[in-house]
Amino acid sequence: MIKLINLTKDFKTTLAVNRLNLEVAAGEIYGFIGPNGAGKTTTIRMMGGIIEPTDGKILIGGIDVSRDPVGAKKIIGFVPDRPFLYEKLTGMEFMKFIADLYRVDPGVFSRRAVELLDQFALRQWKDEIIEAYSHGMKQRLIIAAALLHDPRVMVIDEPMVGLDPEAVRMVRDILKALASQNVTVFVSTHTLSLAEDLCDRIGVIHKGTLLAQGTVAELNLAAKTGEARLEEVFLTLVREA
Amino acid sequence: MQSKVWTLLSPRLLSARNSLRPDARHRNRARLVLFGLIGLVFWAGAFAIFYRVLRYFQNVEDFGDILAMKLLSMMVITFFTLLLFSSIINSLSHMYLSRDLSLLHSLPVGVRDAFLSRWLGSTFDSSWMVVAFSLPVFLSYGLVYQAGPAFYPIALCAIVCLCLLASAASSLLVLLGAAILPAGKIRTLFVILGVGLALLLVLVLRLIRPEQLVNPDSFASVVLYLNSMQALDWPLLPTTWITDTVRLALKKEWGPSLFNLALSASCFFSLMFITQTAAGILYFRGFSRAQTTAKRLFTPVKFHGYSWETLLNFLSRPAKAFAVKEIRSFFRDSTQWPQLFLICALIIVYLYNFSVLPLDKSPMKTIYLQNVFSFLNVGLAAFVLSAIAARFVFPAVSMEGEAFWIIQSAPVSMKTFLWIKFFLYYIPLLILSELLIIASNFLLGVTPFMMFLSTVTIFFLVPAIVGLAVGLGARYPNFKSENPALSATSFGGVLFMLLSFGLIALVIMLEAGPVYRIFMSRMHGHVFSLPQILWFVLSFCLALFLCVFAVFYPMTLGEKNLLKR
Repeated sequence: MIKLINLTKDFKTTLAVNRLNLEVAAGEIYGFIGPNGAGKTTTIRMMGGIIEPTDGKILIGGIDVSRDPVGAKKIIGFVPDRPFLYEKLTGMEFMKFIADLYRVDPGVFSRRAVELLDQFALRQWKDEIIEAYSHGMKQRLIIAAALLHDPRVMVIDEPMVGLDPEAVRMVRDILKALASQNVTVFVSTHTLSLAEDLCDRIGVIHKGTLLAQGTVAELNLAAKTGEARLEEVFLTLVREA
Repeated sequence: MQSKVWTLLSPRLLSARNSLRPDARHRNRARLVLFGLIGLVFWAGAFAIFYRVLRYFQNVEDFGDILAMKLLSMMVITFFTLLLFSSIINSLSHMYLSRDLSLLHSLPVGVRDAFLSRWLGSTFDSSWMVVAFSLPVFLSYGLVYQAGPAFYPIALCAIVCLCLLASAASSLLVLLGAAILPAGKIRTLFVILGVGLALLLVLVLRLIRPEQLVNPDSFASVVLYLNSMQALDWPLLPTTWITDTVRLALKKEWGPSLFNLALSASCFFSLMFITQTAAGILYFRGFSRAQTTAKRLFTPVKFHGYSWETLLNFLSRPAKAFAVKEIRSFFRDSTQWPQLFLICALIIVYLYNFSVLPLDKSPMKTIYLQNVFSFLNVGLAAFVLSAIAARFVFPAVSMEGEAFWIIQSAPVSMKTFLWIKFFLYYIPLLILSELLIIASNFLLGVTPFMMFLSTVTIFFLVPAIVGLAVGLGARYPNFKSENPALSATSFGGVLFMLLSFGLIALVIMLEAGPVYRIFMSRMHGHVFSLPQILWFVLSFCLALFLCVFAVFYPMTLGEKNLLKR
């Protein structure tokens, strides 16, 4: 469902992503971990069609993002690392705005929006202006809006930042439920326990290069760390890189 | 205390210094050159105009000196009014709305130090331009009246005093406003300010009645006119002290001049003492109250279950979504409103002036003048439109702010996004401009040919100006600005204004020759030759080509730039 082929992003001063190759199957949850400045957000932004790759290809559901960005974006649910929104709209108005952009059927929208706002505990805030929302509420609203058009691929950058423990559990359960409905989830995170618990496979990126990928057991093999926790594996891989 | 204030100001000073570092300088060089040149042209222009006017006044028997001093007094009052409004807007922004205020208030510094550091920043921002552009005025006074060398430092001190006084008074007003207004309504100050400013503008222009200057009869009453101005020289007004400081320094009466300067300075220190004391009591309280979410001024109105959005149903879904988002965001952000009120006031004044032009009292033929004015009106309306576009259309892309990722990740191409923005502003601005042109032409009573020509010219100029504004706004966006509306004064904004003015001038020049010939032939019954007809066709086609080019080329440039981000 997701295929990155020799994906490269060179910012002239920094080679943020260097010939990255990976594949994620339908219904799989793929965790993307790495130290600060490793190239996670750059990769995710390229996948979301927000920045252009310098070289390489991104295929989402078989659609080349560079050739048909609009087609690819129609099947992606994108969640950025920082919840910047249109602060002067209300939560419901923002949902409507997104529904119109993704051309969600108006009949479906009213039902789905209420359902999602309920699910993300935002229903009582739906008519409040977003600037009054807390960081966590904005993050929840973005995730809810990203699910509005029933995406086939979810691309999420740091989903748990700013969320309270209850919301963390809720988002984790939602992502698992999505995967069980054959939605592909590509998630970048610093929360290693979450990656360990949630993801089917994990890719470790450092200085723009994919160091290793696989299940936690496969990563242990690559790092020669026995049956260590993901944190130990990650630190070993990064240290030795 | 002083060292803490200095420390609080250091991030700003260091940021300014860092922007001059070699790695940042090459990026800013083009901007510095452009702004430097524009500044120099304005500065030199202001100097040349004032020098000529003052020289002219000197040649007017009996009244020359009085006129020059009245002009000085009017300048000081105008500067003071500008400074007051600019300071109120800057104080609100620096003291209550800036993003870094949470950090400032979390630091272990006293409220007064925090306030003083903010006040200094606000004073600088609201005053530097007035100080810079008052210098050629004082320089021309000094040169024309052959003032002594001490005149210049005294004049500089006087204008600095004026700025400090305006800033201290404005800050006190804002402090009181923020303490008195209900929490959540503090931003309403912007609305009050906007309405106040618009009313003041209309009032001042009606009181001055500039149309009287073209009425020869009014010159007989010049003494009465000058006497009526005495009210502005009330001895208890700080503007009077500042005017007297400069006026007496010009006459080399140093003692009285310095006395007036000392009076202004002591007034500032007293006012600052009151403001600082008030800040100690009110600033933090006001700041805390300002943190409450702004309450909506208007609640949504529905008519038989239909809201205003229904009126936009003819648009495609993404276009309607953008239109609704844009309109809502604009009307819910009260910081946008003062300019809107100001524009409304300017349009009223603009139309009113056409209704009172005493064309019949001119020695030239009325019909000729009416049509010359109508032609000039096209240019003038286009310039007004450029100014509106610089303020509202150019920042349209930057207004997406940090939420621009939503557009980037949405299934809407960048081209569509830009064209939606274009049409969102094109349609209301076209209606506004055509109404302006038709209304002013009716007031002028022009010929049907001029009515047709001016409405058609505006019809093609509006998309050109809007395309230029949206395109350049996308070519030079600033998604991280705290107030994207200010991008009108950025490099891209200034470039837009220059190109827009250039385009209008070119179109008007291309049309002027043929229009003059056609008009004269109608008056005298001449027939056109073939080369003349060819010239007309070529001129109009070239004007049309320029307008079409101004729509599409900047839009393509903007699209390419946004895709590269």
